[in-house]
Amino acid sequence: MIYIILAIAGGFLTILSMVVNASLAKRIGVFQGAFINYIGGLIIILLITMGLREYLHMEALVNIPFYAFLGGALGVVIVASSNVIIPKIPTIYSTLLIFIGQIFTGVIIDYLRLSHVSKGKIIGGLIVVLGILYNSNVDKKQLVDEN
Amino acid sequence: MYRIYAIFIGILITIMVTFNGTLDGYLGNYLSILVIHLVGLTAIAGILIFKKIKPVFKKDVPLYLYSGGAIGVLLVLANNISFSTLGASLTLALGVFGQLILSSAIDHYGLMGMDTYKFHKKKIIGFGIILVGIIIMTIY
Repeated sequence: MIYIILAIAGGFLTILSMVVNASLAKRIGVFQGAFINYIGGLIIILLITMGLREYLHMEALVNIPFYAFLGGALGVVIVASSNVIIPKIPTIYSTLLIFIGQIFTGVIIDYLRLSHVSKGKIIGGLIVVLGILYNSNVDKKQLVDEN
Repeated sequence: MYRIYAIFIGILITIMVTFNGTLDGYLGNYLSILVIHLVGLTAIAGILIFKKIKPVFKKDVPLYLYSGGAIGVLLVLANNISFSTLGASLTLALGVFGQLILSSAIDHYGLMGMDTYKFHKKKIIGFGIILVGIIIMTIY
């Protein structure tokens, strides 16, 4: 249960960081904004690890597969490309399209890691897509009515 | 065309969450985030140098706008911990559910300087459908 709440909290934090980063990018520029974002994050996590007396050891890094280090760089690509693409399509579609990309890649990755395709995850994912589509339509009608 | 790029962003996000989750398995919750930020900062610094852009700090920007990095640390922490237990697809579905709830709240109350769009009761039906989907994903 605690993990479920944590995963939902992750969604809250995603929106918060999108709103904050987009407003910062608007004022100082996309790449400068991302730079400040990473410096801020690095300071916070440095303080946390120092407080917990956890330190990076070279021996620990040697055994890690190289691809595992690429997540941080992918984050930069995602932030920069979102700042370009998301303003160009209505939010109702961007949420939906990004989710479709996420969920089906998620199913494939779970298959590669655990080597079984979960029918429940595919069916459940499709139902989630339906729900998002339904709410998108409600939003769209509301916008048309108000105009 | 931009819609295809949006799907592509979704694919990249899932790959990133998986890579970060793998790193988390080797280094633990906190040191993995340290490495993620070191790599990210190197990448963005490389882009700035390559594009010859100078980093800027403006004094008239409200302080909370500089908190994005701190929020990001909490976000990666929450994602990594739930990923190791719930797997990629369920973590993402629950995350989207959280995103929809908070963005509806922001729209309804016009929080953080956003325009106000009142919550439409009909949207409860959509949230119900999404919840059914998530429950199916959880059970199987």
